[in-house]
Amino acid sequence: MPKNLISISDAAKQLGASIDTLRRWDKTYRLSSIRIGPRGHRFYSQEEINRFLRNDSSVAKQWAMASVGTFPSDDVYCPTRDVFQARLEKLQTVLRGKVPESAVSLLCAVAGEIGNNSFDHNIGNWPDVVGVYFSYNLRNRNIVLADRGLGILKTLRRVKPELSDAGEALKMAFTKTISGRHPEARGNGLKFVRSVIIKNPFSLSFQTGDAALYLKEYDKDVVASWVEEQIRGCIAIIGFEHSI
Amino acid sequence: MIIELKKFGTTLVSRPSGKEAWLAFQPTLTDVAENEEVVVDFDGVVVLTPSWADEFLTPLLARFKDRVKLRNTDNASIKATLEILEKYRAGVNW
Repeated sequence: MPKNLISISDAAKQLGASIDTLRRWDKTYRLSSIRIGPRGHRFYSQEEINRFLRNDSSVAKQWAMASVGTFPSDDVYCPTRDVFQARLEKLQTVLRGKVPESAVSLLCAVAGEIGNNSFDHNIGNWPDVVGVYFSYNLRNRNIVLADRGLGILKTLRRVKPELSDAGEALKMAFTKTISGRHPEARGNGLKFVRSVIIKNPFSLSFQTGDAALYLKEYDKDVVASWVEEQIRGCIAIIGFEHSI
Repeated sequence: MIIELKKFGTTLVSRPSGKEAWLAFQPTLTDVAENEEVVVDFDGVVVLTPSWADEFLTPLLARFKDRVKLRNTDNASIKATLEILEKYRAGVNW
């Protein structure tokens, strides 16, 4: 094997993806390979893999931030709840044996709440691209979810018109039982997410509009801060500390 | 009556699927006798969220109250979900 290059199976292991997925990413230029030998076997530079791993969540962020909506690649795009559900079940099998069983259950519950929240709050009102971006990366130990929906401020203003900015709305979503789906009296989803994150070796970066928050184990307060890069809808990056 | 939740699936996460489970189960619930216990068995469920539970367990508890008994609730997301539903029902201020 050429120096500094790794095989497709090694690359697949590092990325927590299948060999078929890597072939697809190669065809769609998401992650290009180097073809070597008469049969054109695929190899990857370790540097390229490292770069890809670092940038996985930024791909989602760019997608959510772009002024014009585009469809994400098929392997991360969930246009319907059914597709999201199937991929969430796949995540269970990917995580199983690599993190404790309790973490499999809790991480999938947290991802399930956040992903379904996107569908619950945007049904019939998606501004452009319908559905969620959902990817995970075992090497980076994170799960990324994003949508190009209305965002929390617009959703909660339906029931709390006095909300002044995205930061206030974000904090309310994580601390008060409130639903933007008036007159339904519910809205426990993000409170559940917070409760699980602060009681486990997990972390959560969550951004909606121009407000962001970061939560980790043992955090007591929810502090929303202003960020320069405005996002459409929401993006969540769930981190897990268990070694792989 | 024993309700085996795994018969609705092992990844119980979305509101629509919780609501569908509740609606589809109505004819079966008419068989519950007066004063009969309604046992909810979580055995085999891998992932449960408050969204699903709120559509199925919350109305079940509202209808059968103390007659509802929960069994095999050791799984981490089941415990976390039941905890949050309980806090919500008790009106805990976050």
